[in-house]
This record gives sequence, C-alpha cells and structure tokens, in this order.
Amino acid sequence: MKSTALFTPVWRRFRRSRLALAALVYIAIVSVIAMFAPMFAPLPPNDTDLAARLQPPSAAHRLGTDDLGRDVLSRMIHGARVSLTIGFTATALSLIVGSLLGALAGYYGGAIDWFVSRLIEVVLCFPFLFLVLGIVALFRPSMETLMIALGLTSWTTEARFIRGEFLRIRELEFAQAARASGARDARIIFRHLMPNALAPVLVSASFGVAAAILTESALSFLGVGVPVPTASWGSILAAAQENIDYAWWMVVFPGLAIFLTVAAFNVIGDRFRDALDPRFE
Amino acid sequence: MDRAGAGAPHIRAAMKSYVARRVAWAVLTFFGITVVVFALIHSVPGDPISFFIGRAGSATLSRPALEQIRRTHHLDQPLIVQYGWWLKGVVTLDFGTSILDGRPVVARIAEKLPNTFLLNLIAFLIAAAIGIPVGLWSAQKPGRLFDRGSAVAFFLLYSLPSFWVALLLMKFFAVKLNLLPLFGMTSDDYLEYSATGQIVDRIRHMVLPVTCLAYSQLAIFARFSRSAATDVIRQDFITTARAKGAGTGAVLWHHAFRNALIPIISLLGLTVPYLISGSVIVEQIFQWDGIGHLYFESILGRDYPVIMALSVATAVMTLFASLAADVLYAFADPRIRVGEAR
Repeated sequence: MKSTALFTPVWRRFRRSRLALAALVYIAIVSVIAMFAPMFAPLPPNDTDLAARLQPPSAAHRLGTDDLGRDVLSRMIHGARVSLTIGFTATALSLIVGSLLGALAGYYGGAIDWFVSRLIEVVLCFPFLFLVLGIVALFRPSMETLMIALGLTSWTTEARFIRGEFLRIRELEFAQAARASGARDARIIFRHLMPNALAPVLVSASFGVAAAILTESALSFLGVGVPVPTASWGSILAAAQENIDYAWWMVVFPGLAIFLTVAAFNVIGDRFRDALDPRFE
Repeated sequence: MDRAGAGAPHIRAAMKSYVARRVAWAVLTFFGITVVVFALIHSVPGDPISFFIGRAGSATLSRPALEQIRRTHHLDQPLIVQYGWWLKGVVTLDFGTSILDGRPVVARIAEKLPNTFLLNLIAFLIAAAIGIPVGLWSAQKPGRLFDRGSAVAFFLLYSLPSFWVALLLMKFFAVKLNLLPLFGMTSDDYLEYSATGQIVDRIRHMVLPVTCLAYSQLAIFARFSRSAATDVIRQDFITTARAKGAGTGAVLWHHAFRNALIPIISLLGLTVPYLISGSVIVEQIFQWDGIGHLYFESILGRDYPVIMALSVATAVMTLFASLAADVLYAFADPRIRVGEAR
C-alpha cells in the first residue's frame, strides 16, 4: 500500500504519547466488549428483579441495580454497543456527506463552491444540540433517526477541511498530470485528490465520534434519544437523576463510561493531529 | 491597536466596505436560516394544520372550522407562498401564538430570555476570567509541567458530559452536604425573604448551573488563548524585543499577550451556539426557566410556532455574535481588512 509511506512517521510520532496509546487500547477493549455484549454482560440488560431494586454494588450485581432491579453493569455493557454504533455510524455518514460536498466545492469552485460555502455558514449558525434535539424528537426518536440527524448536522468540519485541501492540491503537478492524461473528473477526485486530503479529516472524524457519543447520551438522558427500554448510558443516568438521593452507583458508573469514551476519542484526535503536523515537535 | 492608522481616510473606507460586505453576507445567511427552519419543520410527517392548533384541536374541531383555519393560515396555498407569509411574520417579529398556552410566541420568549442570558453571561465571564490567563500563562513556558498538566486537565474537562457533572454536583453539594438547592431559580419561600436574602437566594440557585455551563468553556478559552499566544511568541518581533534586552515578563505582557488577545475575539462568535446548546441540558436538569427549557417543552408538546421561532432566534443570535466578532476583529487587527476576508 502506498499509504504506508505516509502513515509510518505519523504513527511513530503518535506512538510517543502514552496517553494516546492508552486511549487507543481503551477504545479497542470497549469496542470488543460492545461487539460481544451478550457474552460479556452477566445478565440480560432488560431483566427486571423488583425484589432487588436499587441495590448497591455487591457480588451479585457488581455495579448495583437500577430502580427496576436491572443489573447496571449489564445495561452499561449493552449501552456501550448503542453508543459506539451511533458514534461510528453518524461519523461515517458525516464523513461521506462532508467529504463529498467539500470535494465538489473545492474541485469545481464557482457556483458549487459558493452554494456549499453558504450552506456550511447557515448550518453552523444552528446550535448543534438544538438542531439535533429538534430533528430527533419531531421525527421519531430511534437509533436510526439519531444517526441520521447527527450525521446530517455535523458534516461541516469535514467539508471545510476537504474543501481547503482540494483548493490547495487541485493545481499541484500530480493533479495536472492526471488531467492531462485524460482522466475523468470522478477519477481525479476519488483516486488522486481524495487520498491526499483524507488524513486531516480523520482527525476531525475522531473528534466527531466523541461529539456524537456525547450528544447521543445527552439526548438519551433528556429522554428523547434511544427509546426505552433499550439500555444506553444516557438513559441510565436519567434514571439516576430520579433516584439521586441514594443511588450513587447509578450516577457514577455510566457517567464515567461516557466521560472516558469521549475523552479517549478526543485524545486520539488531538494526538493524531499533532502527529500529522510535525511543526508541533 | 493601530489607532493612528484607523483614523486615516483610506483605512476608514476600507473598514466601511468590509463591514458592509460582512453585513450583506449576514443578511443572506439569515434567509438561509429561515429556509432551513421552514423546510425542516415542513418535512416532519403529519398534517401542517397541527402547526397552528395542535393535535387535540384537529381532532375536536368540525370540518368547516378546520377549513377556515387552513384558509386563515394560508395552508391552502403552495408551500412557497406559505414560506413567504411565514417569512413576513419573522421579519416583523410575529411568530404567531403558542399552541400550548395561546399567548404570542414573542412574549413567551421575551420573558424567558433574561433568565438564560443572565446564567450564560456569568458563566461566560467566569470561563474567560480563568481560562484566558491560564492559557496565556501556559504558553509562556511551553512543555513545562504547568503547560502539560493544564493541557491534559482542560482536555479532560472538555470531555466531561455536563449532565453528568450536574448530577455529581447535585449529589454532593445539594443531597450530601445540603449546602445548595437541588434545582429551581428561587426557594419556595422566596417572597418572604428580605431584599438581601432574596439576592443571596438567587445566587445560591445559580452556583451549580453556572458551574456546569462554565467549566467546558473554560477549557475552550484556555486552549484557544494558549495557541494564540504560542503563535505570537514565535513571531519575529518578539525575538527582536528579546534581543533588545527587554525582560521576559515585559516582552510577554507588552508585546505577546496584547496581540494574542486579538484572535480570542473570534471565540465570541464560536462560543454562543455552544452556550445555547449547553443551556438546553443545564436548564432542563436544574429546572431553570429559560429558553433552553422552553425549547425542550415546546419540542415535547409539539408547539411548532415556538419551536420555529426559537430555532430562528438562536441561529440569529449566533449569526450576530459571529458578525460582531468579525467586525471587532477587523477593528483590532487592520491586516484582516486588506486581505480578502473569507
């Protein structure tokens, strides 16, 4: 692969940060647990046991039980699945929309660029959570709506990055050579320009996953995200608020899971950005 | 900072044309905002008559009565005409009446706005007052323990979900220590307090929500001002000042930080949408009677006139903030007017 040549020094610089490596390992572990959630969860996430409501952590329930007697640890493990699925899918969607619009704007310029740039300005005016909350709640709260709403509102960063990169590289020699050899626009955009513009976008994708997970859990916390009884970190916290007088374990553990996951993606994005840009050395 | 230069006629003319251009863009963006809001709301499945009378109304009213409502609200006309009527309302600040309580939408928003504004202004000032000095300070000696430590700390702070922080603060300060009220804007017996007692009561109710709004912004301020200061410190005129024998402290305060403050102006425009988003969560958790709370209730109650008005209003606030930031920036840094600004 020709990309190895580009990524080896980046990886070498990235690797130097122990924090970033820890974040990467953490994400890998959480991803595996999320993928095989039913195998890792000690109990089914929706099994209620009204005799064991609001139990503090014990040998039977490592992280305690919630107000319906459900095992908090099991719900958190299944919640990881929800959060990561939404985080990755929404970001993939915004990556596709953002790089497509950004590429068109940067490559063709003119009226297309004008329109895309104005659209970005307009979308950026809307407070992110306001917009996502409105779309999700008015259309129908579900995992699919969440992913689409998040994906369709957060593509602006990617689009601006790709647009800027395309503006910079479209007149470089290799692009001119491709054009001179008679390659069609689509081929120039996707085969020649896109691979060269993608690296900085992966940085914003990492921040994007963090933001998507944060927003999903905020909406689920407010009761307009992933519909109940599906376990999600935000909805466990919502139940925790109703029992805030005593159930500290419902407050601490799911919140910690959100925080660590969001922080890990942010750290990876930050160190990846530094690794891509040797000036920071 | 170039006061003598800003007075010169040709620079004043350049400034004028820059501001005019920027305002024209803002007007265009404003129309874009209204189109997006109108299109989004009208793509929600359901009979658009519910935008005006709610679901309960459309079930109880008779057919001729419904037809009458359709005609008065122009629902029998094409979508583009409906947009025109709605836009006319937006421009004249007439967003219709709320479905939930029948009062004018503008009045409902106007009574909640000060509550949100107060909370956010205090949070903003606290975040700036702590974040900017810390950011500048850590730029002074990059790579040192203070710099690296504060960078990691702010990074973690930025990743903390505000609703979790809110719950932890509530659990600790309100439930466990019983120091501060759990939620609300005033105590139940507020009216019986003396004047000072009332002020103290209001402040006590503000501590937790303001903390929740301020901490993540503080991280943004610190990171941003650190990188702004780092950029300035690397420039030649700093090296020159150092070479001429100016002390480190003098160089930093007189030369570096004054210039570093200029890019921080642009944070003004960036933090406004962030604050508004944060208000939805914080006002909901702490039952703070502001526009975030109103927006959430309107969404749940499908109060379309209020939803549309608040969507436009918050986007326009962001638009204003970024316009103000750009203009201020141009005043502070004349170089921006010479180059083609965006």
